[in-house]
Amino acid sequence: MKNAVLFLTQLLILLAIYSVSNYIVQLINLPIPGSVLGMILLFICLSMKIVKLNYIEKAAEYLIKHLALFFVPYAVGLMTYGDLIKTSGWKLLLMIVGSTVIGLVVTSGITQYLSSKGTKKHVRSDSI
Amino acid sequence: MYGLTLFNISLTLLIYIGPRVLYRHISNPFTTPVLLTTILVIIVLRIVDINYEQYTPAKEWLTYLLGPATVALAVPMYKNRLVIREKAIQVSVGLTVGSLATIASAIGISKMLNLSERIQATSAVKAVTTPVAIEIVPIIGGDPTLAAVLVITAGIFGAAFGSLCLTLFKIHDPISRGLGIGTVSHGIGTSQAVTEGRLQGAVSSVAMGAAAILTSIILPLIYKLFN
Repeated sequence: MKNAVLFLTQLLILLAIYSVSNYIVQLINLPIPGSVLGMILLFICLSMKIVKLNYIEKAAEYLIKHLALFFVPYAVGLMTYGDLIKTSGWKLLLMIVGSTVIGLVVTSGITQYLSSKGTKKHVRSDSI
Repeated sequence: MYGLTLFNISLTLLIYIGPRVLYRHISNPFTTPVLLTTILVIIVLRIVDINYEQYTPAKEWLTYLLGPATVALAVPMYKNRLVIREKAIQVSVGLTVGSLATIASAIGISKMLNLSERIQATSAVKAVTTPVAIEIVPIIGGDPTLAAVLVITAGIFGAAFGSLCLTLFKIHDPISRGLGIGTVSHGIGTSQAVTEGRLQGAVSSVAMGAAAILTSIILPLIYKLFN
């Protein structure tokens, strides 16, 4: 019972941050979604110790564990695009697959290449 | 009416359990929970003859926690902040060049396949999270409804095949892996990256947010270069 109350309180804190962020986004017409602003705000609050990790950690871990579930109902919406998929589905899929693979390999490849250079230098300076 | 909504909610939750358990035993792209659950839910809805309009009230219930769950991604970001800060320059360069490569290749491939100009413009936003994609796509002459379809498909593809693809290209560094997944397949990719590892999930969250902000600023500018 105590755990359930704790969990619900933590969930309410996250919901409150989300609502405030949504309100700010609408108020000053920010080009990012409320959830992304909320993520940034919570990060700032954690860094400045306004929100302590143990205020929200349990609920946060639980929600993140099931993040995939919350996307499923949107993805199910693809069922209404049967006609589009029949007419140009393979072309669209080819574009998505091609561009996603290129973007992924470029992003991760560059980052790993730059990181490995940094690490090697680091190792050398240590050994001297 | 309420009965139908309750049925749709229970159906989605029950089906979701299956792929989750299965993925723990057999991890391969086709058992990725978000992909397999979606396919199974669509199949069952088709069989029992329920259309998406009838499913929508259940969607509202089930997605109520998506906002706070995205906010919660600040927790792994915070816990891994020191490791990420150490690689801030590498991460920024990778993210910027990678986002540009994603946008350019999407437009380029669309042109090669002779897709309409409207589809070309829409393809440019497919890597960023849905609300941002829908906001910026009209500015460059694309279609918001199609944008949502492309964004979700790119997300599911990245979630299911991203990890395998990175391994094939010998990219094993967890920060680099998380960064790539979040950059090209936003929240859906991130939902999978968090299951690969804490650090991957944290970096993927950063990449999702940063790629959305970056794309909304640079896309209207660079789209002019292509036309």
